[in-house]
Amino acid sequence: MMSSRRSSTSRSAGRTLGRAGMVLLAVPALAALAAGTVARHSATRPSALPLRRPSLGHPLGTDALGVDIFAQLVHGARISLAVGIGAAALSLAVGLLVAVLAGWRRGWTEAVLMRITDVTLAFPFLPLVLVLAAFFGRGLVTTAIVIAAVSWARPARVLWAQVLKVREYQHVQAARAMGASGVRTVGRHILPRLVPLASAQFVRVANAAVISEAALAFLGLGDPTKASWGTMLSNASSANALLTGAWKWWMLPAGFALTAVVLGFAFMGYAFEERADPRLATSSGRLRFLAGRRRRPATTAAPVAVEAAGGPILAVSDLRVAYAAGMAPAVDGVTFEVERGRVTALVGESGSGKSTIVMSLLGLLPGDPVVAGAATFEGRPLLRASAAARVRGRRIGFVTQAAMNALNPAYTVHAQVAEAAALTMPAAAVRARADELLADVGLPAPAHHAYPHELSGGMRQRVVIAMALANSPELLIADEPTTGLDLVTQSSILRLLQDMKARLGLTVLIITHDVQMVLRVADDLVILQDGHVVERGPAATVAAAPVEAYSRRLLNTRLSPLGAKS
Amino acid sequence: MAELVLPAPATRRHAGRVLPVIRQLRRALPLSALVLAVAIVLNFALPRLAPGDPIDFLIPADQASAVSPERRAELAASYGLDGSEWDQFRRYVVGLAHGDLGVSTRHGRPVTELLAERLPWTLLLVGSSVVLSTLIGAALGFRSAWRRGTKSDVRTLTGVMVADSFPPFFLALLLMLFFSVQLKLLPVFGALPGGGAHGLELLVETMRRAVLPIASLTVAGLGSAYLVARSAAVSELGEDYVTMAAAKGLDGAGVRRHARRNALVPVWTVAMLNVGALFGGAAPVETVFAYPGLGRLIYESVLSRDYPVLQGAFLLIAAGVVAANLVAEIVYPFLDPRVRRPGKVGA
Repeated sequence: MMSSRRSSTSRSAGRTLGRAGMVLLAVPALAALAAGTVARHSATRPSALPLRRPSLGHPLGTDALGVDIFAQLVHGARISLAVGIGAAALSLAVGLLVAVLAGWRRGWTEAVLMRITDVTLAFPFLPLVLVLAAFFGRGLVTTAIVIAAVSWARPARVLWAQVLKVREYQHVQAARAMGASGVRTVGRHILPRLVPLASAQFVRVANAAVISEAALAFLGLGDPTKASWGTMLSNASSANALLTGAWKWWMLPAGFALTAVVLGFAFMGYAFEERADPRLATSSGRLRFLAGRRRRPATTAAPVAVEAAGGPILAVSDLRVAYAAGMAPAVDGVTFEVERGRVTALVGESGSGKSTIVMSLLGLLPGDPVVAGAATFEGRPLLRASAAARVRGRRIGFVTQAAMNALNPAYTVHAQVAEAAALTMPAAAVRARADELLADVGLPAPAHHAYPHELSGGMRQRVVIAMALANSPELLIADEPTTGLDLVTQSSILRLLQDMKARLGLTVLIITHDVQMVLRVADDLVILQDGHVVERGPAATVAAAPVEAYSRRLLNTRLSPLGAKS
Repeated sequence: MAELVLPAPATRRHAGRVLPVIRQLRRALPLSALVLAVAIVLNFALPRLAPGDPIDFLIPADQASAVSPERRAELAASYGLDGSEWDQFRRYVVGLAHGDLGVSTRHGRPVTELLAERLPWTLLLVGSSVVLSTLIGAALGFRSAWRRGTKSDVRTLTGVMVADSFPPFFLALLLMLFFSVQLKLLPVFGALPGGGAHGLELLVETMRRAVLPIASLTVAGLGSAYLVARSAAVSELGEDYVTMAAAKGLDGAGVRRHARRNALVPVWTVAMLNVGALFGGAAPVETVFAYPGLGRLIYESVLSRDYPVLQGAFLLIAAGVVAANLVAEIVYPFLDPRVRRPGKVGA
C-alpha cells in the first residue's frame, strides 16, 4: 500500500565506493611495484629525440628532453604513492601521539597540545606547504615531511575527541581503577578503538598529500631528479603541449592517473568513515513527507457536517505495520475506534507499538514501512499517503512524542504557530491568530516571540499544543504529552488538554504508558501489548474490572510519574 | 575533500548585555591573534632555520656565485640581517607594523606594492568561487540529503567526489584545452584584454578571462560544501522538529525549509574555511592561466627564489584566512538564535 516511489539501494554506498577505491589504487600500485620491468626506458635520461610522437618503442612519445613519457608515467606512480603513504603515515603517527597524550594526560598537556593543533588547523594548508617546501628543499622525503608537518593537526583533533569518549567507557574506567598502568590501558583499550577513525584519517591525509605533492611539483617545487605526475604536467604545460597536440599523450595520462589515485583515496576514505560511523550508512531515515510540493487545498471545512452525523471519528481495523518489508510486524492486527467528543487513551508499555500506530495513520513513519489493514477518518480512508497528508495538521492535530524538543530552534514560537495557522487562514489574520492560540494554551505574552531555547519544557509543550490546534482540528492526537515534565507541569498540561477539549469540542486520542495519569482524563481505554489490542472499552469499566491478565498487571503497576519507563 | 572539524558553537551563558557580535569577537580573537603571531614568527624564523645562510635567500639565484663577501655583508646590513637575532626580530616586527614587508629581490620593489597589485585579482577569483561553490555544493548537498540512500543520492555523491578529485590545476588545463584551445570560446591568458577596451567591453572581456579560473576553483571547493551540506541536512532530518513540521500540515517544501534553515550554520562555516583552501588552490590555477593574482606571484617568486615576496604573500594569505574566520564568528549570531540570545525568558 505504501510502496516507495524511488528505488532505494539496500547496500551501503560506502562498501561499493570502497571497492572502487581499491581498484583505482591497485592499478598504480602494481605499476609502481613493477615499474622497472614495465618501462623499458629510463624515466630520467633521454632515450630518443625530444618531443617524439607515440611509437612502438615509446608508447607515449618523449618529452622536451627526449625522456620516455611512458617510463615517467609508470615511475610517477611510485612517487605519488610513496609521498601519499609516507606523509600519511608520518602525519598519523604525530596526530595519534598528540591525541593520546592530550586526551589521556588532560590538564596542561592537553591545553597546550590542542592549542597548537588549533593554530595549525587555522593555517591555509597549501600556502604553508609551499613556503615550507620553498625553504627546506625539494627532495621527496622533504616534501613528505613538509606535508606531514602541516597535516597532522586534523587527525590529532579527530582522534583526540575519540580518546576523550573512549576513556569514559566503563571497562576503561575499571582498568584504570584496578591500577593498570597508563601505557597498558592506552595500548589495550584505547588504541584498538581508534583504529576505524585512524584508518579514515590516514586515507584522508594520503589524499591531500598526493594533491599537494602534485601541486608543489607543478609549481616547480618538485624533486628535480625525479619526474612526478605534477612535474610532467608542468613540463608539458611549459612546452605548450596544449597547442601542439602533445597533450593527448603527455598531459592526459599523467593527469588522469593523478586523479585516479586521489579519487581512490577519497573513495576509501568515505568507506572507512562509514564503517567508523554506521549512522551514515543507514537509509532508514528517509522521510516520505519530504518529497514533492503540494498545493494548499482550496477548502478544508465543507463536508464535516454530513459526516458528523454518526459513527466513530477514527476507526482502525486490522492494522498491521512492519518497519520494512520482511521485518516482523510492530503492529499486528490492531482494531479500535475513537468516538466523537471523547478522550480515548491508547495505553501500552514502550515497544507495544502505540506510537507506530499513530505515525503510520498520519503517514509519518520513516523509511519504507509496510502498512496493511484499513483506517478511516470521518468515514474516509486514511491509509493512503495523500489522504493522510490532506488531514494532517488541518483536521487531525498531532502533538508528537517529546514535543518539547519538537520546535525548530531557529524560529520564534510565534512564527512556528503562525506558520501552521497560515495553512487555512488568510495571511492578514495569521499573526493575531497565533497570539490568540498562544494565549489560549497559557503562554504569557512576553514569551510569544521567544525562541524555543528560551522557554521551559512545559511552555514548549504548550506551544506545540497551540501548533496542533492552529487549524481547529476535529481530532487531537497527543503522543506521551506529559512525559519528561515535572508533576506540577504534567497536571497543568492535562488540564489544558481537558480545557481545550471542552472549549473546542475536540475529540482527543492520548498515547501513553502511564495508566494512572491517563485515568484522570480518559473516557475510553485501548490497552496494547506487543502490537496487539489486549482489551478495550470505557475507562471506568476496564479500570474497575479488567478482564485480561495483562490489563490487570498494567493497571496495578504504579509506574513512575516521571515516565522513567519510556 | 577534507571533512570538517567544526568549532564548537558558542553556548556560554555569561552573556549579560554585551552585543552578540562583540561576544563572538571576544571568543575568536585570541586564536586569531595567535595564528597571526605564529605566521609572523614563522616568517622570521624560516630563512634562519632553513639550511644555508639567510642572506642566500635574498640574493637572486643567478647572481649568487658572483657576489663578493664584502657585498654580502653590505646586503646583510641593508636587509636587516646584522646584529643579534633578537635585534633582527625587533626590527622585523617594527617594520611589519609600519607595513614594511621587505623588498623583492627580483623586482627591487617593496613587497607590499607587488601584493597590492596582485591581491584584487585573487580576491575576484577566490570570492566568486567561494560563493559559487557554496551555493552549488549546498544545493546539491541538500538535494542528496532529502533523497538519502536512493540511487540519485549515491550518484550525486559519487559525481561530486569524482569532480573533487581532479587536482585544480589539471582541471584548469582541461578546461583551457576544451574552451580555449578546441572551441576557441575564451581567451587563454591573463586577466585584462590588451589595450583599447573601455567600459562595458572591458568588463565583459575581464569576466571572460576570469570564467575558467573561477570554474576550476569552484569545482575545487565544491566537495567540502556538498559533503557538509549533505551531512548537516541529514542530521537535521533526524530532529523531532522535522516530524512536527510535517505533523502540523506543512508540505514537503515547508518541511525541507525547516531542516535547511538549521543546516545553514555548518555550511556557512565550511564556506569560510574554503576561503583559505581556495587561496591555496589559486596558486596552481592562476599559474595555468597566467592570471596575475597572488597565486601566480607565489609561483613566480618560487621560480626566481624571491623569498621576501613569497613570505609576504604567505603572511597576507594567513591574514586573509584569519579575517575569514572572524567574519564567520561574527555572522553566527545572525544564523543561530541560541548564539544571539543565550539565556531564558524571565529567568
